[in-house]
Amino acid sequence: MNPTPTPPPDKSTTSTPTPTTTTSNLRYIRYNAAHEDAYVPAMRQLISKDLSEPYSIYVYRYFLYQWGDLCFMAMDDSLPSPMVGVVVSKLEPHRGGPLRGYIAMLAVREEYRGQGIATKLARMAIDAMVEREADEIVLETETTNTAAIKLYERLGFLRSKRLHRYYLNGNSAYRLVLYVKEGTGSMRTNLDAYAPQQQQQSGPPYPVVESRAEMSGAVTAPEPALLHEGNGRGW
Amino acid sequence: MRVVSQSVVPRDITDEFTTAASKLKTGQLVKDEYFTLFEAVGALEIMDSKMDSGYLGPGENHAQALEDDYDLTRELGPEEVLGIMDGLLCHEMAWHMGHPLSQTLFTSLYLDKLLWPVPKSLDEAHFFRGHLANNNEELAIVHLVLRAYCLALVKCCDFVHARVATEYYFEEEDFVTQLYNRSLLSQFEPEPFYDLLNRAISWVDEQKGMLDERVREAIWTRLLFRREFLQGLEQDVEVIQTRSKEHFLTCLSQLDNLAKSTSLGTEVPDSFSWKIQRKLASTVPPRPMVKINFEDALAHLKRLCQDAIDLQEIIDYQGPYNFKVTIWTLLSRKPQPSVYIRSLVQTLIVNNMTILGAVPVKQFLYDELAELVLPSRILLEANMDEIEVPSDPRFQIAKQMDAFVKRFSQPFADTFRSACLNRCRIRRTVCHTIVDWDNLQMEAEDLDEQLRTLSKEPPLMLANGDATYSYPLSSWAYHHKLIQFRLILQLGFELSIYSPEELPGMYWYLSHICSTHLGHIDRIRTFTVATAKRNLAEMAAKKRDALERHTALQKSLRLLERLTTQIVAVDAFAISLHALYVLLARHGILPTASSAQAYSSDRLRYEIRMKPFLQITLPELVPYDEYRREAVLEGDSDEIVLERATKAISEARKAWEATLANGAFVQDSDGEENLAPAIEEDWKRDVKDTMRACIGASIAIETVKKALKARANVAEPKEGGHPPSVNLRVTIPETGSKARWHDWWIVPQVSPAAVGSKT
Repeated sequence: MNPTPTPPPDKSTTSTPTPTTTTSNLRYIRYNAAHEDAYVPAMRQLISKDLSEPYSIYVYRYFLYQWGDLCFMAMDDSLPSPMVGVVVSKLEPHRGGPLRGYIAMLAVREEYRGQGIATKLARMAIDAMVEREADEIVLETETTNTAAIKLYERLGFLRSKRLHRYYLNGNSAYRLVLYVKEGTGSMRTNLDAYAPQQQQQSGPPYPVVESRAEMSGAVTAPEPALLHEGNGRGW
Repeated sequence: MRVVSQSVVPRDITDEFTTAASKLKTGQLVKDEYFTLFEAVGALEIMDSKMDSGYLGPGENHAQALEDDYDLTRELGPEEVLGIMDGLLCHEMAWHMGHPLSQTLFTSLYLDKLLWPVPKSLDEAHFFRGHLANNNEELAIVHLVLRAYCLALVKCCDFVHARVATEYYFEEEDFVTQLYNRSLLSQFEPEPFYDLLNRAISWVDEQKGMLDERVREAIWTRLLFRREFLQGLEQDVEVIQTRSKEHFLTCLSQLDNLAKSTSLGTEVPDSFSWKIQRKLASTVPPRPMVKINFEDALAHLKRLCQDAIDLQEIIDYQGPYNFKVTIWTLLSRKPQPSVYIRSLVQTLIVNNMTILGAVPVKQFLYDELAELVLPSRILLEANMDEIEVPSDPRFQIAKQMDAFVKRFSQPFADTFRSACLNRCRIRRTVCHTIVDWDNLQMEAEDLDEQLRTLSKEPPLMLANGDATYSYPLSSWAYHHKLIQFRLILQLGFELSIYSPEELPGMYWYLSHICSTHLGHIDRIRTFTVATAKRNLAEMAAKKRDALERHTALQKSLRLLERLTTQIVAVDAFAISLHALYVLLARHGILPTASSAQAYSSDRLRYEIRMKPFLQITLPELVPYDEYRREAVLEGDSDEIVLERATKAISEARKAWEATLANGAFVQDSDGEENLAPAIEEDWKRDVKDTMRACIGASIAIETVKKALKARANVAEPKEGGHPPSVNLRVTIPETGSKARWHDWWIVPQVSPAAVGSKT
């Protein structure tokens, strides 16, 4: 169905009364491919807990092999399996347009939620993308996942659209967007062969206008005529 | 079975592959540039039980994993038949709701037996396929009644599938058309299905006294329902000719009986199996069966039947304005009409270049232009077929107008068809089409300039002595673009796109678009009034057609007046909410989604918000600094802002009342009866909900006014000190909640905060 993974619910902000595990000595580290054998299974376990459908190993490798430096982990070394949080992301030009960062997965072990670990991880990923000159950062989240929405909105993300029945479970999503640089909204993108189908056109397709300057004549509103100069409705 | 082809010579590459693979590090990805996230997500992991449909668990053998040992020829009690029928209905509705067949109807072993292998004749579609056809007389309840029900149900699905698949829908969002290489019996004519149902109904009639009467009646009702439902769905677009509501009305009348009698049934869970998915031609691993309860299924079915009945009200064409009201009102029902209804409406709107099966698109577009910008003008009268001299300006006009029709009829029809998309897609689609309409407006402007020379349009004089012309076609295009601006914003409210801190700015922007639109309509009116004045002289001179023209012009002026009233209503309400939100934000009682430590900035967030409009030439983008000043009402004191909110809300209430009084539809002067009573009820409810929201806003404004007054009375702020905070609590009601009177109007709930508590 949707080609993009679900950011799992993150309950770091909502009513987690007292965290069952408080840890001041968490270690936040960047993913290192040399330890893939240890990291990836732990990551999958952490993330698949929140998903109804598992991701194949290829999804993890797709991200980690190409953008391992945008993946961060929270470790509690007092545990036999120390990974308690993870964020997985990518960064690439979007349809030949803006350099788009994408937060694909964010998960925190249940008993560690409510301590700001998810926020910290998201910030690390965003900071790394900003450092690499990202123009914008986007993600999707289930409309019912209030905690995740709050987390990202606190970080400055806005909802740009709602995606109807986006997930396999039939739930809808919000696309959340953060612009990092001015002018991102005006950057041109190519038509994307992989994009979801657009409105079917039985008539001739709309001409693609590359540049306004090439259009003959400037478009201005025809001037208001004499009879109704100013409509006199101001409050 | 092995595929053997003459041209392919197989070669075993296992060793080469193994050698090459051994050189890779764990985690290394070998991919070409076309391997995207989409492919990565679509990849399956062999030997993972959740992904590998052929995976056998420890101790599981092939037969256990694939085969069910349910005996389809077994005897069923009437209660069990009832249970299976209702189970199937739940699955059928789940499929209507957008779930795949594989997780719904195709989990039924009974259906599976009928449909696979694909039967060559209807007679072949039997539950005892593969067994010796033994004497099944005594099992008529299974082999006659249940079979007839199942086959007719599949045929119902066939009609639904055919309609949806020919129209514009979003796969997996709205509907899943995947049939997994099976057929929904589309190869068979409908008649035999009715024969089967009628035979089953007769058999059930004969069982009076032999079966539990309540169960017997329940089965009978279901067969009857199925027959009528099949007829209703078979009717499909033929409804334009038949105008028959009969079948869906009968369906509706049976739904209560279905609801009451379902408890008499006994479920047969073994007759549904998750395992069938392993045999379906599918690229996705088996997923859990979708379970919806009977009550939800019936609710969906009831809405579908009601919508199918009411959609007949769109069929009688009464001009583009009324047509648009019926379409958008019907399809804005909550919950939104099902994908079948939405697809059917799409077909009715335009099919083979004809609107509602009756009006050619050219006529449709001309009617629209006549209603709004060109009442009775030579541009619409010129007909190329009648004028043969190419040098005649009328020939030239006709040629240009034909080009216009060719270019604009599709995008115009799409402003109707887009109502049939799901609500999220409407907004996303309009965000794209608005750019097209910007281009269309430019093209129309070129046409206008050429046409006005040909038609020798008399100019109006501006105050500075310059001549100005009506630009009818581009004016019309601009009108549509402004409607789309408004729709994007209003759907943004409906879909909960905006965060609370954006509400002051978004309602300001809505009012900005409205006042631009009002100015534009004033301009159109100016030219219509001028034409009407000229026509008065012609009427006095008893010129040919002058009276007819007069009627058309008056009708057009009435429509412009109606539009003005509506837009004033939206504008005033938006202005009032804007002012109210400004006060809440100023006093720090408006909830905010972003934190002080947020990335980004208000300027960048404004850019995201304006994304759909960045490419638009007209109306011009409001620069951020101007937007910010307007959005916060910079320089206006609380008193002025409060005054503004109060005045505007009272203006809004008046304008909404006037809108309601005008009614949903433009009436012809002969005052014919309203042909769309059910849809008109929906329309009225919508306006009344808006009026309730206005009242809610008035109350909120009063509450804020009192609180500000109370604060001013308590204490003058000390020199340099902070004034006391306003003792109010604000909540933003969610879409769908009781306090949210209308999806498009987010009226904050403002109440006095408990004394001493911090807001």
